[in-house]
Amino acid sequence: MSDSGTSQQADEAAGSAGGSPPRGRDLRTALMQPDGWRLERRLEVRPTYELYATVIALAITAVLIGLLVLLVGVSPFDAFSSLYEGAFGDRESALETLVQSTPLILTGLAAAVAFRAGVWNIGGQGQFIAGAIGTFFVYDMFPGLPAPLLIVAMLVGAAVFGAIWATVASVLLVRYNTNEILTTVMLNFVIDYFLSWLLSGVWQASNTPYSQTERMAENTYLPRFFDDSRLHWGFAIALIAAAFVHFMMRRTSMGFEFRAIGVNKRAASYKGINTAVSIVAVMAVSGALAGLAGAGELLGLHHRINFEFGEQQIGFTGIIIALVARLHPVGVIAVAIAFAGLVNGATQMQISTGIPAALVTVIEGVALVLVLVAAVACRYRLRRGAVHADESAEGSE
Amino acid sequence: MDTTPVTAPGNDILVAEEVTKVFPGVIANDAVNLNVRRGEIHCLLGENGAGKTTLADILYGVYRPDDGRVLLNGEPLDLHSPRDAIEAGIGMVHQHFELVPPMSVIENVVIGTGAKQWLDLSEARRRLEEFFADYDVEIDPDAEVGRLSVGEQQWVEIFKTLYFGVEILILDEPTAVLTPQGVDELFRILRQMRDEGLTIILITHKLREVIALSDRVTVLRRGEVVGTVNTADVEQRDLARMMVGRDVLMQADKAQHDTGEVVLKIDDIHLASDTGRGSLKGLSLDVRGGEILGIAGVSGNGQNALFDAVVGVRHPEQGTIRIADADTTHAPPHKVALQGVASVPGDRIAQGLMMDFSVKENLILGNQRARRFARAGVLNRAEIDRFADESIEHFEIKTPSASQTTSTLSGGNLQKIIMARELSGEPRLIIVHQPTRGLDIAASEYVRRRLIEERDRGVAVLLMSEDLDEIFQLSDRIAVIYDGRIDYVAEPEATSLEEIGLYMAGVVEAAGAAP
Ligand SMILES: Nc1ncnc2c1ncn2[C@@H]1O[C@H](COP(=O)(O)OP(=O)(O)OP(=O)(O)O)[C@@H](O)[C@H]1O
Ligand SMILES: [Mg+2]
Repeated sequence: MSDSGTSQQADEAAGSAGGSPPRGRDLRTALMQPDGWRLERRLEVRPTYELYATVIALAITAVLIGLLVLLVGVSPFDAFSSLYEGAFGDRESALETLVQSTPLILTGLAAAVAFRAGVWNIGGQGQFIAGAIGTFFVYDMFPGLPAPLLIVAMLVGAAVFGAIWATVASVLLVRYNTNEILTTVMLNFVIDYFLSWLLSGVWQASNTPYSQTERMAENTYLPRFFDDSRLHWGFAIALIAAAFVHFMMRRTSMGFEFRAIGVNKRAASYKGINTAVSIVAVMAVSGALAGLAGAGELLGLHHRINFEFGEQQIGFTGIIIALVARLHPVGVIAVAIAFAGLVNGATQMQISTGIPAALVTVIEGVALVLVLVAAVACRYRLRRGAVHADESAEGSE
Repeated sequence: MDTTPVTAPGNDILVAEEVTKVFPGVIANDAVNLNVRRGEIHCLLGENGAGKTTLADILYGVYRPDDGRVLLNGEPLDLHSPRDAIEAGIGMVHQHFELVPPMSVIENVVIGTGAKQWLDLSEARRRLEEFFADYDVEIDPDAEVGRLSVGEQQWVEIFKTLYFGVEILILDEPTAVLTPQGVDELFRILRQMRDEGLTIILITHKLREVIALSDRVTVLRRGEVVGTVNTADVEQRDLARMMVGRDVLMQADKAQHDTGEVVLKIDDIHLASDTGRGSLKGLSLDVRGGEILGIAGVSGNGQNALFDAVVGVRHPEQGTIRIADADTTHAPPHKVALQGVASVPGDRIAQGLMMDFSVKENLILGNQRARRFARAGVLNRAEIDRFADESIEHFEIKTPSASQTTSTLSGGNLQKIIMARELSGEPRLIIVHQPTRGLDIAASEYVRRRLIEERDRGVAVLLMSEDLDEIFQLSDRIAVIYDGRIDYVAEPEATSLEEIGLYMAGVVEAAGAAP
């Protein structure tokens, strides 16, 4: 069907309608001012639109960043290719990218799970720290445990601590209806200070002026996959966690309830879903995932907690990843790896082109905003408003 | 009843030629031909999922036909959006309203009329008041829409459309939400509008309304037009046969039946609603196993509060509710559900369904932990599929598959999902609010028959409906709710439509007939 001249036709058709009710035409003419371009809600939103929209958003991100790079006087091609080289160019850097993606997958999942249930857990960062604290706590408490058991106990400790920290916010939410966005953000600060207190007090390593713990015993190190890479079992744990999340959300009664409160909390409660319990449960799962991220970093890479431990803002990046991935667990893996690649490649880019590695933060931010815009935008379409050239003539019929 | 328009029906104003619309898995409209004449009331009739809303949406520019075309006054009309339709003089009020609840009536009316008009509310107010005066409707233009009754919200939708000055008004099941008085009022005004030259396309499932109001009827079945007839030439029975393709049994039989123990006992409950409207002020009732207690009443007299109190979403400030032996006055919904309570809420979309879930997920909503559908917390997909297919078959839910996203289903089919779900278990008490709202005649009869079957099994049924025929047909006892109280209960044989009507309107104070 032809799109051209349609509003014109519609107009003529309407205009030729004689004998209409007295208050009809003049008013419509007055109200329907031509106003150029306008947005209209699409009634049919196909799932493929959303995918396209996301891809387009990412492409626009690349273009914008390219322009920015150009502005600094560097060829975007050089910048992107060095970025890519640094991220995935060879085996070493690709594996390192996976190393970096490990905690991001977990905190991304943490955010995705909570957001699916309509609970805005912005406290992934705090729960990440809580997880590390939990890990070290178990290490500190049970020095005699044999290594495999100890590692399992530490992972459990991390999950439990992360969950508990998230539960503080969820209990406040269900008991006193406090806004979880505010409480989770505040709790991030609280645990930061608590960690500082631990690092300069009970857990401070002896004979050092630094705020840091002892280095953990070697038998607590997460095994590595290869001799030439830091890639550790944490990555496998993250993949398993993604599978678990997918299974939980799609195949279990509990996940069903989580999604239900996320879609329509009112109907969920009419249908006898205990929304308070679901909120507490989903926050606990979310916190546990973020906590595991903390354990992975500690046991796989750092082996001691120091004041720099939370500096990479893994928890916050996880939120962005979850949103860019549109809350899908598989998407979270992909986006986390891409983001890790950016971080990893940025160093290479800085060395070979002089562009500051901080550009990565800009890329992440732009990508987030554009993907979110795309998510909304694919429900709309842009079109040209009708032009009423001969409105005034109509009344004379 | 005189249905002859003052101005003789004119020529074709709006014509659909071979209009076809295909959704994944369904042909919603299959080469549909429709011709609507100027100044007539034209009914669209058809079973749930027959394609009425889709056809109306095409005329209103929501969807574009995949094939065929629409002519307005003989000229091809190529609509890209409802806004185009309004510009062409075609307006529509949807099955599910599209108002902004926190805004006032007047703001809702002018919303979308373009930025410049925003500031000039006084002109809009003048026009609106003129409308209201012309048609004898009493609504405060400054009232918050969310606080109006459903019937009043419908008026706002209609006037909002008229405010644009349309010549053709499409109404999708406007009477589904109205009380009998509301329907009379609507019909009076629609006739007046028609007589002033407006062309009206009306979708409804109620054959009596079609006969009473329309000039011509077009019947759809499975996306195809069965035919267009002059209303004067047909009877309800003929229309039913056209719709369904066979004779329809119009009455569900109800045998006499002994009642059992009291299952639901409500004693003097008070529950203030935050809008002040529809509060409960000392309501008492009891329902026995094996009986249907029908509650008649104009909406806004406490039906929602009563429903919420029984299912545990809100709790009375005073008084008690007992279900079987348990005091559920303050029990949350998940505890109430454990007592074997099935519930069909009045607002199916806000209270009864997850529109983003699949059909099968909605069919088990609330039973996701039932032993039948889950083992050790893991959903039993095979069993869920089996149950979903079974429900879809029994209730004739029209959907391409059980995995279809619920939001794509037609209005009546949404209601069927809820009914199928709630009638699937073995409840002790069923509380239903407008159970057949939006259902076609066959589906309505099926649901009514199922409610009677449940009653015969010994289930206590609390039925709230504004459809008095339904109340009379199903109830073993009829109660009238007025201003948050029930002061009149009678057996259907011992009362009459007129009497119930008077109590519903609050004209008669209760006299001695209390429970
Ligand atoms: N957006 C959509 N996507 C997919 N299928 C759709 C969509 N809208 C409608 N359908 C399907 O098209 C068919 C016709 O739907 P329609 O809403 O027109 O029915 P209806 O006659 O209005 O029924 P009801 O009386 O129940 O309101 C149904 O089978 C429905 O499931
Ligand atoms: Mg419909």
